[in-house]
Amino acid sequence: MQSERRLHPVSFLFALLGHAKQLLVPGLIVLLGARSGGDGWEVWAMVLIVPYAIAAIGRTLSYRYRFDPSELVIRTGFVFRNERHIPYTRIQNIDSVQNVLHRLFGVTTVSIETGGASESEATLSVVSLEAFRELRARVFEERGPTATAIAEAPPETVLLDLSWRDVALCGLIQGRGLVVLGTIFGLLWEVGMIDRLADPLFGEKTTGRGVLTQLLLAFFGQGLPPARTMLVTIAAFGLFLVVVRLFSVTWALVTLYGFRVRRVGEDLQIEFGLLTRVAATVPVRRIQAVTVQQGPLHRLLERASIRVDTAGGEGRESAQSQRHTIAPLIRQTEIRAFVHAINPDADVDPQWNAVHPRGVRREFVGSTIVALFTTAATAAMLRWWAIPVLAAMLVWGWMHARGYVRSLGWALTESVVIFRSGWLWKATTVAPLAKIQVVSLLESPFDRRHRMARVLVDTAGADSESHPVRIPYLERSTADGLAQALAAHAARTAFRW
Amino acid sequence: MDQQEFFGVPEEAGPTIADGRFRSLDPRSVGLERVEGWIATGCVSAGVLFGILIFVMVSRAPAWVTPLLSVVWLLLTLGLIWHTLQWPELAFKHTSYKIDALGIEIRRGVIWRTVVNIPRSRVQHIDVSQGPLERRFGLGTLAIYTAGTAHSMVALQGLEHTTALAVRDHLLPERADDAV
Repeated sequence: MQSERRLHPVSFLFALLGHAKQLLVPGLIVLLGARSGGDGWEVWAMVLIVPYAIAAIGRTLSYRYRFDPSELVIRTGFVFRNERHIPYTRIQNIDSVQNVLHRLFGVTTVSIETGGASESEATLSVVSLEAFRELRARVFEERGPTATAIAEAPPETVLLDLSWRDVALCGLIQGRGLVVLGTIFGLLWEVGMIDRLADPLFGEKTTGRGVLTQLLLAFFGQGLPPARTMLVTIAAFGLFLVVVRLFSVTWALVTLYGFRVRRVGEDLQIEFGLLTRVAATVPVRRIQAVTVQQGPLHRLLERASIRVDTAGGEGRESAQSQRHTIAPLIRQTEIRAFVHAINPDADVDPQWNAVHPRGVRREFVGSTIVALFTTAATAAMLRWWAIPVLAAMLVWGWMHARGYVRSLGWALTESVVIFRSGWLWKATTVAPLAKIQVVSLLESPFDRRHRMARVLVDTAGADSESHPVRIPYLERSTADGLAQALAAHAARTAFRW
Repeated sequence: MDQQEFFGVPEEAGPTIADGRFRSLDPRSVGLERVEGWIATGCVSAGVLFGILIFVMVSRAPAWVTPLLSVVWLLLTLGLIWHTLQWPELAFKHTSYKIDALGIEIRRGVIWRTVVNIPRSRVQHIDVSQGPLERRFGLGTLAIYTAGTAHSMVALQGLEHTTALAVRDHLLPERADDAV
């Protein structure tokens, strides 16, 4: 029998801190509430939580694991004992997350996931880095088709390695700055600083103040503020935009620093993060669909971003959801090689089939109705402004209808189905036929009138930000043929998690 | 269990469900839908009437509100009654399913029509369930679970119970790959 390994000696510290973190917010509330006159029984109640924390620490101390010939065996508990056997072949991912404290001690939290489960099968908090590497190597070796010596390294290629400049650029394009700003705003509100800032922006105590109020009044036609105020406002707004972009860049640098994707044998290993370092493993065969996305800024800089849908294990935060973006920024010239490394049959630029051209008219009719409704609803507020607004909306609707329908395209090869859409924000999805789950065809009453239909291809692991294969405005006969072909292909192949 | 089935050889001992023909639901499902419709109509209508009565008694609304609300309630109830009488028949006419060696195809929808095609190799597991009303009518609901996201569960209601069981037995992959 193999020797049993234990967790790192400092793991009790992490267990303690983990519990302290859970109790921090309710504890603060209790303490602040108790101060304002009560018996203080709440404070005493918190003391009762200490034995619970001790029990958790005991669990950490009793955690042992060993490498049996075909499975990983984990034993926990002194009083309530539990023994878990995880066959190596069932292990899909071994992820490691390191925050600043972990880095200080040179340890990491490892989570082991098997196929299809939404929870980790096992979480080792915390082990040393060598133990993590040993665990990964052992599991990989046992999982592989041929038993190789542990010293022999599997074939490894670096697919993507982002420099800090690339990461900063990614932050600039992504624009998550508003989220950061919103969080800061929330914090300031809590602390009460907003009251102090409210006067200069909204108040009307002295001349030259109350900038925002003046602007709003001017917009609704009650007199323009002096030119000086306008200039100051515009400058301030410009500064605001710059600050937001700076926040985006900083956020990206902190979360995505050192982004690296390597293909190691049958897995993709993804590492990123400045303070919290994440090392995630994605088995290539778990990838269901690959989507290449390009916004207008991406196109300007000749870059794109790539995300994947992975099967099993959705709904959990941390490494899981972040793993979906496997290339936050990649050069246009490198896309083909990257996608080929994941799926050799994938082709991001095939011979595209277009959809029915009458789709343009139908899309335009849709947006016209929306424009008419919104203008009618806000007519009272806009008054004579309603006419140019309606005209602008109609022009935009026409441009969107043409751009969008012209951008739609699909292709079917022997092993993948490819779909692209979007004229401003382009997205191309490649879904292997072996990963197709359910094929459906949808026909709305408007579709029926024009003898069109929409084909939907369902794959596993899609989330709200995915770009699923949903092809609208197909001619009915084409849609029928495509749906039948896809279903036949899917039926002929077996689906492996 | 006869010899062929025991050894897993797909012999056609008699009329089998997987013949690739389009079949309708059981006609009794129309009756079931109507009963469910009457229950729903009764609950909704009574609830709205209750709400209106309370509103009229409690609030100081002008005199013309009461007849207006009564008209609204009347229209709502008549609409629900019409729906309960007509819709189950329409839905029945537009629902059909086909089972063959490759999988199952379900067509349904009166106004918004859909065709859902589930290959046999993608079925994860299947439930056959019966509510109390369904038991009285001898019907069952077939729920097919897949690994997909939008169609992680596809339900077919109004099948005869034994038919639903036969469909389940045919679609489950274990049975199919049981070659000895």
